[in-house]
Amino acid sequence: MSFKLIKQAFSSGQPPPMWKPQPLKDRYDVVIIGGGGHGLATAYYLAREHGITDVAVLEKRYIGSGGSGRNTAIVRSNYLTPEGVRFYDESVKLYGQMSEEFDFNVMFSRRGHLTLAHTDGAVRTMRRRAEVNRLQGVDSRLIWPDELARLCPPLDLSDHPRYPVQAALYHPPGGIIRHDAVVWGYARHAVRRGVHLHQLTEVTGITVEKGKVTGVNTRRGRIKAGTVLNVTAGWAGVIADMAGVKLPIATSPLQACVTEPLKPFLDVIIVSGSLHVYISQSDRGELVMGAAVDPFASYSMRGSFSFIEGLAGHMLELFPSLRHVRLMRQWAGLCDMTPDYSPIMGHTSVDGFLVDVGWGTYGFKAIPVSGKMMAQLIATGQTPDLIRPFRLSRFEEHNLVGEKGAASVGH
Amino acid sequence: MLNNALYRLEPQAGETIDRAQTFTFTFEGRAVIAHPGDTIASALAAAGVHVISRSFKYHRPRGVMCMAGHCPNCLVQVGDEPNVRACQTPAEPDMVVKPQNVWPSLKKDAMAFTGLFSRFMPVGFYYKTFIRPQAMWPLFERILRRIAGLGKVNPATPPDRYDKQYLHTDVAVVGGGPAGLSAALAAAEQGATVSLFDENPQPGGHWRYALPAPDDGPLPDLAAQAEAHPGITVYPETTVLSCYEDNWLSARRGNRLFKIRAGAVIFATGAYDRPLIFDNDELPGVRFGGAAQRLLRLYGVQPGKRAIVVTANDGGWRIAAGLQAAGVSVVAVVDERPESEAGAVSHVLQADARVFWRHTIRAARGAGAVEGADIAPLDAQVRPQFIAGDLIVINIGLTPANGLLYQAQTKISYNEDRAEFLPETLPAGVFAAGRVAGSHAGATELAEGRLAGRQAAAFLGLAPAPPSAEITALAGQKAAGPKRSSARVDVPGSQKRFVCFCEDVTDKDLETAIAEGFDSIELLKRYSTISMGPCQGKMCAANTIHLCARHTGQSVAQTGTTTARPPLAPVSLGVLAGQNMEPVKRTALDAWHRANGAGMMVAGLWMRPEHYGNPPAEVQAVRERVGLIDVSTLGKLQLTGPGAPDFLDRIYVNKWQKLGVGRVRYGVMCNDEGVVMNDGVTARLSETTWYTTTTSSGAGAIFEWMQWWLQSGWGGEVHVTNISEVNAAFNLAGPRARAVLQKLTDADLLNEAFPYMHVRHLTLAGVACMVMRIGFTGELSYEIHCPTGAAHYVWERLLDAGRDFGIAPFGVEAQRILRLEKAHIIVGQDTDALSDPISADMAWAVKLDKADFLGQRPLRQVAQDGPAQRLVGFTMARPGLVPDEGLQIVRPTAAGPEIIGWVTSSRHSPTLNQTIGLCWLPAPLAGQPGATFTIRMNGKLEEARVHHGPFYDPQGDRLRI
Repeated sequence: MSFKLIKQAFSSGQPPPMWKPQPLKDRYDVVIIGGGGHGLATAYYLAREHGITDVAVLEKRYIGSGGSGRNTAIVRSNYLTPEGVRFYDESVKLYGQMSEEFDFNVMFSRRGHLTLAHTDGAVRTMRRRAEVNRLQGVDSRLIWPDELARLCPPLDLSDHPRYPVQAALYHPPGGIIRHDAVVWGYARHAVRRGVHLHQLTEVTGITVEKGKVTGVNTRRGRIKAGTVLNVTAGWAGVIADMAGVKLPIATSPLQACVTEPLKPFLDVIIVSGSLHVYISQSDRGELVMGAAVDPFASYSMRGSFSFIEGLAGHMLELFPSLRHVRLMRQWAGLCDMTPDYSPIMGHTSVDGFLVDVGWGTYGFKAIPVSGKMMAQLIATGQTPDLIRPFRLSRFEEHNLVGEKGAASVGH
Repeated sequence: MLNNALYRLEPQAGETIDRAQTFTFTFEGRAVIAHPGDTIASALAAAGVHVISRSFKYHRPRGVMCMAGHCPNCLVQVGDEPNVRACQTPAEPDMVVKPQNVWPSLKKDAMAFTGLFSRFMPVGFYYKTFIRPQAMWPLFERILRRIAGLGKVNPATPPDRYDKQYLHTDVAVVGGGPAGLSAALAAAEQGATVSLFDENPQPGGHWRYALPAPDDGPLPDLAAQAEAHPGITVYPETTVLSCYEDNWLSARRGNRLFKIRAGAVIFATGAYDRPLIFDNDELPGVRFGGAAQRLLRLYGVQPGKRAIVVTANDGGWRIAAGLQAAGVSVVAVVDERPESEAGAVSHVLQADARVFWRHTIRAARGAGAVEGADIAPLDAQVRPQFIAGDLIVINIGLTPANGLLYQAQTKISYNEDRAEFLPETLPAGVFAAGRVAGSHAGATELAEGRLAGRQAAAFLGLAPAPPSAEITALAGQKAAGPKRSSARVDVPGSQKRFVCFCEDVTDKDLETAIAEGFDSIELLKRYSTISMGPCQGKMCAANTIHLCARHTGQSVAQTGTTTARPPLAPVSLGVLAGQNMEPVKRTALDAWHRANGAGMMVAGLWMRPEHYGNPPAEVQAVRERVGLIDVSTLGKLQLTGPGAPDFLDRIYVNKWQKLGVGRVRYGVMCNDEGVVMNDGVTARLSETTWYTTTTSSGAGAIFEWMQWWLQSGWGGEVHVTNISEVNAAFNLAGPRARAVLQKLTDADLLNEAFPYMHVRHLTLAGVACMVMRIGFTGELSYEIHCPTGAAHYVWERLLDAGRDFGIAPFGVEAQRILRLEKAHIIVGQDTDALSDPISADMAWAVKLDKADFLGQRPLRQVAQDGPAQRLVGFTMARPGLVPDEGLQIVRPTAAGPEIIGWVTSSRHSPTLNQTIGLCWLPAPLAGQPGATFTIRMNGKLEEARVHHGPFYDPQGDRLRI
């Protein structure tokens, strides 16, 4: 029992606020557009690691209202390319320290992440990922149905399914986390260190003079700033366009859903690339399920019926005993997809205008590391090695990152 | 055996139960008597079972509260099925019903102690504890997980049948109450076809159970009229779940899912009771007005023996009268209005009933069930007085059932006068009528229903639009009607007061969360988890908005609502999935393969023979004699029209204009990023007819890809037809292939007449075939395409003809070895999401000098810079060692092994008796034949050597014999 709770229990007052509203100033050193996990993490690390606190985070709606609050909260580092593995592994490590660092339990549950292989081709890809992972020091290995049955007893490993399970990539450190808590933790500690958080503050324009950014226009007035970071999702291209920067991004909806709460049924995270579905059970008992991004570009977040139909069908292929379990809620988020299924981080052609965008279906996993790296980039002007492969200019240099294989479905 | 006569009344008019029959089911091991027509909850109520479940967080006892499937308080486990709404689920003989989330029993639940410690478990308590030591968190988490959750999944749940049905209708009416029925009739009278969906066994809505108001007059039998109307189809027991774009609805009835496309939709979804927040507001015995009436009139069950009715409208008084008439002693009616505002129904109570005007309830009292209520005046600071009773009826207002209207993108706003969220702007083709739209009195409901029906018909062009004066008049009528809902959502108190029954969130929790900074309605929802449980906000959303508005100093309208998300009612994965529609594709020879010992494998949508028992022997047959493989799974596309070569030039990296009639060329297809997507051969059959094959797995996707580009402006004078299943295909390969083929045709097959990389129309054993002389296996070979219907015959004839030559069928595994001996790539195995054809050793195919084609710009870049990585062959230094595909090629460095490449293909070659393979390596290393590098195998580094070109027959002589 934490002391804070005991204090709260016997106090007549309320616990202190996580963050307080501050007045909107007319200039900041750094303006961060987007109050999601990435934006707030960048603000936090700017303040904590670099002493830069004259920072405003501008959020159109409320914090975490975009992808940070809509994802399915899976954290893992079993990617396909060495640069991807290195990057996400650093993120997993930072997530591991987060509860203590924030004194706020983000409920990181390292229950193990299993990517099923239903074809010999998939087995080959899983072996490749396992090998890449292990060479980078990431715990990941190919396992066969006997071990799979022990890790996930309800999984149908018979030859009844249309695509019987042949093997799986097992990544023990992979886990789930309370995604909203991550956002709130960063917000609270960024604000405590002097960062200004402005919710309900929509950016309507970016001012650029002689190739250098000078500030932003918002619905609440103009703000001057020498550094502006676009860390939006869904509308990353629209925001970049305000500064005259074109991004190779197409936006597609990604849907997810939860069932009613159940007693513990599933202890691991199961992903099937061939069936385009994944599932985990939250601590509250809901089964959290999702699929691949919708196969068309759209800004619609209404969700579709065909999504839950297809997902249910595939889920019952994996877990036939779930047929009575009721789906309670579906929702959608927006994914900014780049041609190589990897993010875009760093400088643009406009001096002082930086981006941390194109996070597709993998943005949540990268919140801590990307925040830390973007903060370092802003503070030093130098692109850290860890994010150099993700620079915007790679598309012109034909130097893409090959994460399509590991990122497209396996959230 | 529980005595079901305890609360069962004399037969009631309109009841749904069949008293002539009885059966039993069990609840927590005890037998319960029920009649057909009873729900689980009504039978339990008849037997006096007040506690049905325990709550999510504090494990508090809960009982039937809404009797309408809206609250979470009656969720039970029925056999394998978790989280069943007892109040909506018909009781069945021998059903095994168990309470959930209790141990060891409902009565003595060990976890109920959590309630005592609730002060240590405020909203979001789990964020603030279990942080240190970190190593303990997995243990805490396991405990938390066990305490949370409701029902259990039985891993041995047997399968069941589900199906789906599409419906098309002019007008879909959702809700079969008075407004819905009159809407359906009005629309049908205008000539529309109407489908009416109602979740209850019979339509009728609140008329089935509610006591009518005196000014309603005699109720017309609209249900019978609707049933009789030829233009109306009534779907009872059918719950509409969702509404998406363009009036795309889903609905469920039993194990059937309906998918409905409607021209117009009328939502007449009614309203449900709104809870009042007071101390112990969920104690078993607290029931909503709707629940009391349903129990009474539909099931003939007394909702209690001594009732305290808490109300803010005339409906409460009618309920009191109805209870009294059914033999329930009404001990008090507590109305928050002054007497002057009450209607005429108020004075029909028994003499000893106490009446409290301008009073409200402060607390429910009792241990495990209601034993009485604290009653207090609204305004004065007076000590509440205790009234004994076992039933508290809460009837202070209604929440319009507007979830589907929200889903349909209706603008809904808070109406201060009516104290309800009512539709403001409806999207085109969407209409609302009845209680969901704010109609109260029977006459207004009927009028609004009829108006909506006519408006829907007018929207579809079937009738003139109703005059706007009529619409205005109706709006006036609605505004003038009596108020049914109180603006008051809570009363003062000091004990647990639940806003959210699903998650045990109290008003204090909300206040705390707001003070902590979660002061927008969406943040408040996420932090407190309010509205995220099984009721999905039906009980708590409206009250939460009021509380949030009060604590933040904003208006209810400013506070806004959270997004209403589908489905409206939870729906099982079985119903959503329906039948498994994942067809298996089988070639025409599938039965033959199985009968002849083939081991089958999944290959995309297809099943293919992986082998016929001995892949090396199959390889040997092809290399030394002749083999036959079924390649019917190849994608086959026919391109016709003079624009075909232009189109191919854009889709492929190769050039096609000069390919002569009768010739075949291998082609590579890239996407915009210059990444290899697919490969295959293309034959020019005539000036304007082309025949293309794709990989087996890529057939569908490539056809779609081509269609996409055709329709994006590249489709001038060319048609693409997918004939993948029209033709079967076999590959006859080996040095004796010509001799075998010659036995089936008189045509000249010699090199001069039918050279390598040419195509011919041949009649084989009397069947017209198209034959391409190509060579994936590296031997003289003919790919024979024949009509699928003749496939089995041609296959048998080929085997007959080859018998003297030692012909053998071969499978995918042998083919993989054969192609690897030739160093031919398999797209998707040897290439990945970054592989361009130049780096993949196919630079010869890439014609950068032609006009624009897919991948041209990035490929130019690669050609200019030179590849960074290259796909090359390798052999192993140590004999007998075959590295698994997917293993990494590493360079030892001081900091440990560094990845420089990976193995894409590797096999033992029976022909060469050595390990051969393909791998990606840094270009400088790949450029040196014989250079050594190391593959990491089981943690050890094994030496391999770069190999250029095919491993077998590098000059390709055997293809041309």
